[in-house]
Amino acid sequence: MSEWLASVVDRAERVDDWLSPARQQALQRLLEQRWPTRRTEAWRYTSLHTLEKLQLPLASAAENSTSEIPVIDGLQSLDFVFENGQFVGVAEAGHKPQPLEQARLPNGLSVHALLDSANTELSAFNKAKPSHHLFGLVNDVLAQQGLVIHIKAGATVAQPIRVVNRLSADVESHHRVLVVVGEGAKATVIEHGFGSCASVSTAFAEFTLAANSQLEHYRFALHGGEAQFFGGSHFNLGEHARLNSTVVGYGSQISRLDIDLNHVGEHAYAKMNAVYLLAPKEHFDLHTSIEHMVPNGTTEENARGIVGDKARAVFNGRIHIHRDAQKTLAELNNRNLLLSRGGHIATKPELEIYADDVQCAHGATVAEIAEKELYYLQTRGIPRSQALVMLNFGFIQELVNQMPNKAISEWLAPQLRERFTAMEQK
Amino acid sequence: MMLTIKDLQASVEDKTILKGLNLTVNAGEVHAIMGPNGAGKSTLGYVLSGREGYEVEQGKVDFDGHDLLDMEVDERAQAGLFLAFQYPVEIPGVSNMEFMKESVNTVRKARGEEPYTAAEFLKIAKAASQQVNLPLDFLKRGVNEGFSGGEKKRNEIMQMILLEPKLCILDESDSGLDIDALKVVADGVNSQRDGKRSFIVVTHYQRLLDFIEPDFVHILADGKIVKSGGPELAKEVEASGYAWLDNGDATATQGATA
Repeated sequence: MSEWLASVVDRAERVDDWLSPARQQALQRLLEQRWPTRRTEAWRYTSLHTLEKLQLPLASAAENSTSEIPVIDGLQSLDFVFENGQFVGVAEAGHKPQPLEQARLPNGLSVHALLDSANTELSAFNKAKPSHHLFGLVNDVLAQQGLVIHIKAGATVAQPIRVVNRLSADVESHHRVLVVVGEGAKATVIEHGFGSCASVSTAFAEFTLAANSQLEHYRFALHGGEAQFFGGSHFNLGEHARLNSTVVGYGSQISRLDIDLNHVGEHAYAKMNAVYLLAPKEHFDLHTSIEHMVPNGTTEENARGIVGDKARAVFNGRIHIHRDAQKTLAELNNRNLLLSRGGHIATKPELEIYADDVQCAHGATVAEIAEKELYYLQTRGIPRSQALVMLNFGFIQELVNQMPNKAISEWLAPQLRERFTAMEQK
Repeated sequence: MMLTIKDLQASVEDKTILKGLNLTVNAGEVHAIMGPNGAGKSTLGYVLSGREGYEVEQGKVDFDGHDLLDMEVDERAQAGLFLAFQYPVEIPGVSNMEFMKESVNTVRKARGEEPYTAAEFLKIAKAASQQVNLPLDFLKRGVNEGFSGGEKKRNEIMQMILLEPKLCILDESDSGLDIDALKVVADGVNSQRDGKRSFIVVTHYQRLLDFIEPDFVHILADGKIVKSGGPELAKEVEASGYAWLDNGDATATQGATA
C-alpha cells in the first residue's frame, strides 16, 4: 500500500455519515487491493509514482474562488457548480449560483445532495470489479459531496443538465453523481471537469437508464498541468434504452477515465465517441469496458486521439459478450495520430466473446496522414503545412460533428482547434 | 501562350509512362486529349499538377510564364492551374465549405485579391452549387463524404467555378456519369469558357465532346501525342475506336498544332 492510499484509509475511517455502512464494505474491498504497479494490467501504461507519496489537505469550501464558471454559449444549461469537488450551488446563464433548495428545476427533474438522499447504493460497478476500480473505491469511501439526480418516468427534460467541477486549489477532493433516468424519460447530462493546479481528485458518475429511456451524455475531462485526476462514468442500460455519449479528454500529470457500460436490458443501443488531444507531456488514459449481458444489444464505439510532443495516450477498449448475449452488435474502433517521435500511444482492444451468434468488429491504429488527401488539398492551392492541420484536425472534427448538441460542438470545436494549432507549432 | 509542354518524359515507380509529349495550348482554347487505356492520360494531369511519385525525367513545361515543373503542388494551383479528378478523394471531418473557403481565399491572396468574408463566400458558394445542381447541404458535409460518383464530379466543377483558374484539366470527368449528370458537368465547363480560360479535356470516349466542343483533338498513345486535328478527329475515333493505333496506321506527327 502506498502512503497516499494509507492516508485514504485513515481518512475513510473517520468519515461518519449515513452511508458509512456501505462505505465500510467498500473500504474492506479497498484494503484487499494491491497498489497498482506496471505489472497490474489496468495500470500497465499509467504510472502512479507521482501520487504514491503525495499528501494534500482535503478540500473545503474555504478554497473556493468567486470567479464565474464559464458558460457554454447557446446551451442554456442548468449548471450544478462544484469547485474542488465541493458543491457551490445551481446557476443558470452564468448567474450567481443559488443553493439547491432555492433552485427552480424543470418539471420531471429532482436533485438532492448526496448526503440528503436516502436509499442510495454507492456503486454497483466498483463492487463488481474492485481491482479495476481502485479509485472508484476511493471515491466510495471518501466522497461526501455529490448529487443524486432523478428524471421522472415519462418526463422529457429539455434543458441540458451540466455538472461542472473546477479544480482551483492544491487540494484533494472526491465527489460523485448518481443519475436515474426513469422509464421512457429523456435527458441530457454534461459532466464537465477542468483545472490544472497540483490537485488530486476523483469524480465518478453512475447512470441508470430505465426501459425506453434516452440519455445524451458528455464527459469533458479538460484538465491540465499538475492535476492528478481519476474519474469514471458508468452506465446501466435497461431494455430499449438509448445512450449517446461523447468523451473529450485533455491530459495532465495523470488523467485517467473509466467508461463502463452494462447492457442489462435487451435491445438497448449505445453510441460512444471519444476524442483526446494531448499537448506536450500530458498523460491521458481512457479505459472503456462494455458488458453485453443480454441478447440483442448494440454498441458502437469510436475513439480518436492526437498525441503531440512527449505526450502519452493510453486506450484500452474491452468488449465482453456474455454467453446469453446472442444477436449482439458491437463495434469498437480506436484511431490515433502521432504528431511527433517523442509522443507515445498504447492502444489495446480486448474482445471476449462467449456467444456464437454475434457481430463484433474492432480495430486499433496509429496512423499517419494519407498522402492522397494531402495532395488533393494542395491541388486546390492549400499549402502543405496548412493542409496537414486541416486533415489532422479533420480526423477528430469528424467525431465532434457527430455530437447531437450543436451548441456544445460549436463551443468545443474552436477550443480543440486552438489546442491543436498550438500542438502543431511545437 | 498558356501552356507549352516540350518533350515531356515522366515515370511512375521507375516505369516510363510519358515518352516525349509535346503540346501547346493558347489562352481560350479547348483541347481534347483522347486515347486508349494505359496511354498516359491521367498521368499527364498528375504530372502537370505535381503529384508526388510522378517523376519528370526530361522535358520542360511553361505555364503562363512560370516554369511549372519547378513549383510545389499548391503553388501551381495558386498560379491558376486546376485539375478536376477522375476519382476525387473523400475527406470526412474537413467540411466541404470550410475547405473551399480556405482554398478560394488562398488562391485569391496569391492573385493579390482580397479574401472573401464568410458571408461573401457563402453567397458565391450558393450560386455555384446551384449552377452545378448540388444541394447546399453538400457544402456542410465532409469533402466528398458519401457523395455519389456524379456528385463528386459536380463538386469538382463547383470548385473550378469558384477558383477561377486560368487552365483547367478535366481528367475523365465524364466517366461513370449518366447523360443528365454529363450535361450538368458540360454546362458547368461551358459557362467558364470566356475566351481567355483554357481547357484540357481528357477523355476516353467521344461522348463528352458532344457537349464540350473542343477546338483541337489529340490522340495520346503510349505516352506520346500521335495524331492531332480538329473536332472531326473525335468522330473518327468514335467510328473506328483505337484499334488503328496498333496497325501502324498512325500518322504520328510530333506535337500539336496550335
